Amino acid sequence: MFSQNLREMLDLALFWEYRQILLAGLAFNFYVFAVSAVVAVSLGFLAALGRVNPLRPLRWLGAIHVETFRNAPDYVMLVWVHFVLPLLLSQMLGQRITFAPFVSAVIALGLVYSGYLAETFRTGIQAVPKGQIEAARACGMGGALIMRRIILPQAVRMMLPEAMNNFVSLFKATTIVSLITVPDLMYRVSMVTQQEMRPLPLYTGAAITYFLLIWGVAALARAGSERWRRKIWA
Amino acid sequence: MADAASTPPCVEVVDLHKRFGPLEVLRGVSTRVDRGSVVSIIGASGSGKSTLLRCINYLELPTSGEVRIDGEAVGFERRPDGQVRKRSAREIARFRQDLGMVFQQFNLWPHLTVLGNVVEAPLRVRGMPKREAMELGRACLARVQLSEKADEYPARLSGGQQQRVAIARALAMQPKVMLFDEATSALDPELTGEVLEVMRGLAADGTTMIVVTHEMAFAREVSDRAIYLHNGLIEEEGPPAQVFGDPKSDRCRQFLAKLLH
Amino acid sequence: MGNWERLVWNQRDVLLQGLLVTIEICAIAFAVAIVMGLGLALIRLYVRPLRWIAGFWIEYCRATPIFVQLMWVNYVWPELIGWPTSFYTAGWVALALQSSGYLAETFRAGIENIGRGQREAAAAVGMSPILAFRRIVLPQVLVMIAPTIVTQFTVIVKSSTLVSVITVQDLMFQSQRLVNVWYEPIEILTATAALYILFIFAVSALGKALADRLRLRYGLGT
Repeated sequence: MFSQNLREMLDLALFWEYRQILLAGLAFNFYVFAVSAVVAVSLGFLAALGRVNPLRPLRWLGAIHVETFRNAPDYVMLVWVHFVLPLLLSQMLGQRITFAPFVSAVIALGLVYSGYLAETFRTGIQAVPKGQIEAARACGMGGALIMRRIILPQAVRMMLPEAMNNFVSLFKATTIVSLITVPDLMYRVSMVTQQEMRPLPLYTGAAITYFLLIWGVAALARAGSERWRRKIWA
Repeated sequence: MADAASTPPCVEVVDLHKRFGPLEVLRGVSTRVDRGSVVSIIGASGSGKSTLLRCINYLELPTSGEVRIDGEAVGFERRPDGQVRKRSAREIARFRQDLGMVFQQFNLWPHLTVLGNVVEAPLRVRGMPKREAMELGRACLARVQLSEKADEYPARLSGGQQQRVAIARALAMQPKVMLFDEATSALDPELTGEVLEVMRGLAADGTTMIVVTHEMAFAREVSDRAIYLHNGLIEEEGPPAQVFGDPKSDRCRQFLAKLLH
Repeated sequence: MGNWERLVWNQRDVLLQGLLVTIEICAIAFAVAIVMGLGLALIRLYVRPLRWIAGFWIEYCRATPIFVQLMWVNYVWPELIGWPTSFYTAGWVALALQSSGYLAETFRAGIENIGRGQREAAAAVGMSPILAFRRIVLPQVLVMIAPTIVTQFTVIVKSSTLVSVITVQDLMFQSQRLVNVWYEPIEILTATAALYILFIFAVSALGKALADRLRLRYGLGT
């Protein structure tokens, strides 16, 4: 019984049979990932700038942004953005607005991960020693120039490993967009499962695919960022 | 005000006070540094000598008093109508370009090469054309005898070499005054010599310098004037021969005597 | 405001019931994850023949998205090994699996960080290795990694929202059910989101305060 089931689980021929549909689904994971990463990095950077700003209202704004989205579960955010945000906007603008699932997915994941990334950015920025900034000020450099030329290049290298972790988490989170019918790999697996009634090889195939992909990319990213850091910090 | 006939001194400090919370670090310091002269500031740690230097280029905001560069106040502007206006951060940054600062901890930027460190301010702050900036940068590195290290990253250099790069970086702004904040204190004893040698060369070339230092022999040798600071006040001021050889103040005498033992 | 009263306040029993299920399933998953994580770390460090399996298992748990894990446990395990037999069990098993991988790595780093000197000092007063681990090494490790453990609990709470997909009646499930009854999602879903955010914020603030106090007491600073 067990060995028969095991064989069924590892019988990935079914998974292979549907490879074209399924891989097209995986492309959606990458698509959602890429666009939400852009959203998350931009918003996260702004929030981090707010948090290290000398102006108290901006610091508060940054802190509220970070604490709200960092503490919001991905799935709750996804459902809220997809089902509530369009209604709120409709009420405000006086016309009916709906979001395509893809748009909701990108907004929700972008917001949530902007919270994590903002903290990563802030930690990196604040890890740059004070003397570095003083030396720049002593050279007559202004705030924006110091941020761009002195702080950010160093901060980016310091925060890179943590930012990589954030991106890996973001990619993993893209698997839940199937729940608002973005046709990603998981969505298609559940569709095929309903047709074939053979969940074992399909879900196992999905798990293996995601595992290999994320594990491999994470290992590469770790090695790559470490090498880049070492090049200068030797 | 100073008499209008003579040119104003290169740096003038008038009744400078600096307070950190309840602690008054500078309690009314006034002095002047003429063009081409070398002034050394000595004193025990906590006497306020580093704070004085950092107030001169407004890395620390003075609580009250004035710093003037070539007769112009750094912190505020006297309008013709007699009103006084605080200067913006941008205007203060403009003044800092005329003041080269060398820090105790070097503070070289680790992500830029040696030459990159030196040309950063000429390129991005002064807006100098790239070729001109590179030429200037190489000339400054030559002055500190580090031409061959131009393309290295700072982390590969010894402490003494790093500090010499920091000096070149300050020189590249072609400042009116060089400020040295205990430039050799963070160095191993065997590395201080090369840095002092470079500073000696600058002094000989007629660079205006304000030097906060613990190196008494060096201060005595290169300065035109020495200032002994105690508890935020100038306790003794004069030619080095007087300050180091025959101080009028007992505190200064004791301070120097302690150093000799 | 009438909507808030009708849709949220009057339904508070249902929502709180859901929150209780959330807390319960997270607590179970957390407890299991800590035990599993410690076990995996010990195997990886000290049980040479099983080291590879533990290492692979840890990597698998860390690199597989929680939603995929949940579906896998829920659909594949029952057919493969006849367990778990309920959605509820599948829920906490998936959550525990996910966190055990992270916790194992945290435990391992912590244990490796406690120097050999501590073990030798324990051996020198006649402690057996097991006693030394229990009395000397483990307490120090727990103090050291307390903040990471707190973070991991908040991760479990966030991931637990997904168990509603397999019909475990947690807060997320109850709130979506209310939405399906009235078709008025604004108030219910906003309240639910706020509840989750506040709950997780409170847990991490409280946990961080406790962890800081613990570390301060042992002079580890923060």
